[in-house]
Amino acid sequence: MNDIISIVSENWMLLLVGQYPHGPMGGLVLTLILSVVGLALAFPVSVLLALARISPFPWIRLPATTIVYMVRGVPLIMFIFWVYFFLPLLTGRTVSGTVTMLITLVIYQAAYLSESIRAGIEGLPRGQVEASRALGMSYLGTMSRIVLPQALYNMLPAMVSQFISTIKETSLGYVISVNELTFSANQINAALLTKPFPVFMILAAIYFVLCFTLSQLARRLEARIAGKRAGRQKAHPVPMPTVAHVVTK
Amino acid sequence: MISFDKINKWYGSYHALCDVSAEVAKGEVVVVCGPSGSGKSTLIRTVNRLEEIQSGKIVFDGQDIHAPRLNLNHFRAGVGFVFQSFNLFPHLSVLDNIMMAPVNVLGTKRSDARAQALALLERVGLGAKANAFPGQLSGGQQQRVAIARALAMKPPAMLFDEPTSALDPEMVGEVLQVMKSLAKDGMTMICVTHEMGFAREVADRVWFMDHGKLVETGSPDSFFTSPQSPRAQKFLSDLRSH
Repeated sequence: MNDIISIVSENWMLLLVGQYPHGPMGGLVLTLILSVVGLALAFPVSVLLALARISPFPWIRLPATTIVYMVRGVPLIMFIFWVYFFLPLLTGRTVSGTVTMLITLVIYQAAYLSESIRAGIEGLPRGQVEASRALGMSYLGTMSRIVLPQALYNMLPAMVSQFISTIKETSLGYVISVNELTFSANQINAALLTKPFPVFMILAAIYFVLCFTLSQLARRLEARIAGKRAGRQKAHPVPMPTVAHVVTK
Repeated sequence: MISFDKINKWYGSYHALCDVSAEVAKGEVVVVCGPSGSGKSTLIRTVNRLEEIQSGKIVFDGQDIHAPRLNLNHFRAGVGFVFQSFNLFPHLSVLDNIMMAPVNVLGTKRSDARAQALALLERVGLGAKANAFPGQLSGGQQQRVAIARALAMKPPAMLFDEPTSALDPEMVGEVLQVMKSLAKDGMTMICVTHEMGFAREVADRVWFMDHGKLVETGSPDSFFTSPQSPRAQKFLSDLRSH
């Protein structure tokens, strides 16, 4: 325990921001930047992929389906190597490990996320689209105002768990020398030489606290929105039909 | 107002609508009845092209609804449609449910759409529920909101697809009441319903369908007291035996 405390107190800057300000930003902050930016960029891509996947036109649907299955069919670490070696060939210039990792994460997460979004869309009762179209709403209006708001809400838990796994997956950046949190921990371990157990204990604890907090936050958020929809008044005498209830009838 | 001319629809090899020809005059209330699977819902869903037909012609308010240059969204905006399962948007308040299409399809100013929505809610007896969410309402209340939502587009005719079939019995009356008042105000209506009391009281004509065919049409009086076709006779006697 004393080991852990002293390692943290001596190396907290390295764990938090890496070499910064004497070098590039790293550590926990870089891990968070990669996760947040990665997911933020992956999100719009995944919505487009999901819409393409359910498109009635095969020339839109098939390429999207191919991309999703290809990306989902290979391990992330292999995908990192692909981007790492092929991106410089394609662009003709060197690409930093951080950018490589970010691009990899965006493509990888978009493919996974698009499947949850697709499930969210297809899980909605057909009547929602019909009602919207019957009112004269366009396809895009129906998607943006009726379908996606509901589908995205329904997949909020899936999205948070996606974010959590993204945080964990950034640690794979280690193999291409992205100096994120795991990289920092390894630096500390290399410097101390004899204390791998407390060092990796600290690393595990940071990931755990981060991910556990997030999943708790997600649960609260979910409950709040659900409460808003079902009605805040607790003592409600009328039985309240839910969407699912209506659909089964 | 609405005319069907020899319309045919197949689902694969299943002949869902079979040479249906009929006409609804302006201000007329038509009740479509018949056993389940007879094509009643399919028939009215063809009017706003939720179902496409393979042959025939449908004219709505002077507009051939399959005209090649028809703007489908614009056309649908003018056909009021009420679903069996209400299909309110659960993520929007009652008010936003009603304002959605006027604001986004017709380009009505939000303030005007709001005032109109509140007036419609008063009309269906739900003025106090403007800010509630659909999940907070009973089935009957939800269906009344759905009617208000359709009315917000100021449609020249309203189509009802079994509007009370998903409701608990004690809530059927409040929805029928709203439909009756609409009929009294001269709204052109086609109602697919099993509520024969409503048909007797409100309908100008009853259409009886079976196996995708329009078997018999007539005034409610003549249909209920002396149905012509054996199938209608059997249908009515089955209803009475309950």
